[in-house]
Amino acid sequence: MTETTIASNLQNTLIELEVQRKDVSGAKLKSYLIIGTGILFVVAGFLFGDLFLAGAIIGGVTLIIGFVIFSKASKKFSGYRHEFKQRVIGAALKSIDNSLELNYESGLPEGNFISSQLFTQRPDRYNSQDQVQGNVGNTRFSFSEVHAEYKTVTQTKNGRQEHWHTILKGIVFCADFNKNFNGTTVVRPKDFGAAIGAWISDKVSLLSSSDKELVKLESPDFCKKFVTYSTDQVEARYILTPAMMERLCELDHKTKDTISVSFTDSYVYIAFPLSKDYFEPPVFKSLLDGSFLEEDLEVIRFMYSIIKELDLNTRIWGKF
Amino acid sequence: MIIAAIVLIAILLFGITFYNSLIGKKNQVTNAFSAIDVMLKKRFDLIPNLVETVKQYMLHESATLTKIVELRSQAGNASLSTEQKIDLDKQISTGVKSLMLSVESYPDLKANQNFINLQSTWTESEEQIAATRRTYNASVTDYNNAIMMFPGSLFAGMLNYSQITVLASTEEERQNISAKSLFNS
Repeated sequence: MTETTIASNLQNTLIELEVQRKDVSGAKLKSYLIIGTGILFVVAGFLFGDLFLAGAIIGGVTLIIGFVIFSKASKKFSGYRHEFKQRVIGAALKSIDNSLELNYESGLPEGNFISSQLFTQRPDRYNSQDQVQGNVGNTRFSFSEVHAEYKTVTQTKNGRQEHWHTILKGIVFCADFNKNFNGTTVVRPKDFGAAIGAWISDKVSLLSSSDKELVKLESPDFCKKFVTYSTDQVEARYILTPAMMERLCELDHKTKDTISVSFTDSYVYIAFPLSKDYFEPPVFKSLLDGSFLEEDLEVIRFMYSIIKELDLNTRIWGKF
Repeated sequence: MIIAAIVLIAILLFGITFYNSLIGKKNQVTNAFSAIDVMLKKRFDLIPNLVETVKQYMLHESATLTKIVELRSQAGNASLSTEQKIDLDKQISTGVKSLMLSVESYPDLKANQNFINLQSTWTESEEQIAATRRTYNASVTDYNNAIMMFPGSLFAGMLNYSQITVLASTEEERQNISAKSLFNS
């Protein structure tokens, strides 16, 4: 089913939501205008000393009214957002596969993100939402938007300064893996730091404090892109067969930034760094032109296709 | 004087580290080799069960079954080297493959749950053996590189270490999911 067909099936819902959207966008615009005017009054009061008191009072009152309207607009927006996700995204998911469900308030739990070992850095600030769950054959999978950051603190002349750095902003895909394994195998992008780390861990293994060893795999394409570590050399090769390495390379070719993959607790986790927030309703753009869903649908289809791409539903290795 | 001592200590430390790492690599090769042995044993242990399950159904394949049982009993010989076991495994695999291909003619067997489980365990063990062989080859390459490159070549001479040949890749390793074809038969 194409985006346009989905949009036409959802026409009635969209017409209803379009009324809601206009209401939200109107309220938001009104609040911005009033807050802007309030600021102008306050600034004018400061600039012209004689009008200070009048500027402060009128500006203050205007600002309060602006913020009240803004808070009402935010409430309206959250209602509109809820309806959009439930009815529009929900229907779009069903059009791809009936098993797909969106749970927009939950995401990948922080504990799972850490235990996936996709990244070595532990997050200090973590947010995950818009979890989509479903299954293809026997393979249960889910994907969620994740924003994980860590904090560094520097001492400056003006005191302590906190800096936030992104570990991942994007989507984490998680699926039940089709082979039995006990250890942990991680596949990370081979950037400069990872390449140096791999070299040290290979040459001076005594310096490596990790429980995982570097795994030297045969595929030159794969090794050019990724560095692999595992708690078990044989198990890593049982999971990363030549076919699996080829498939992961193909999957990686389709994305802008290099993916990270981990195999642990009988699951495969794949992190896709992405800059956009998906499954969010438009506020200042009409719902009726049908094109707003294109990117969301593209992401859903892409995630759904991973099971097929990685052949995760082939259950011939003693795990059903 | 102090500088000379520091340089000497550094050279000594470097030498010890390199010597230890060479021994570590050699041990890794031995470990990887024994992992192949363990996996082969696991695979050979599947044969009696497999034969027991299929023999009641596959009345016309008795020659193949006898051959597999015979090879399995040879594999039980404790004096066999891992290379000989690998060779036996190749012959057993060929026999089992031909059995699996003829499953199509025995619909009752094809639907037997025990047989389905055995079939997937067999496939699993096939990939596990391929993984141990690949691990062995990776350890051998690592070891060979270490003893052939300077300064490893100096220590290799002293330790009497020589190059080891990697195992030739099997059909399963070259063809990506050959096991799948068994299920499509």
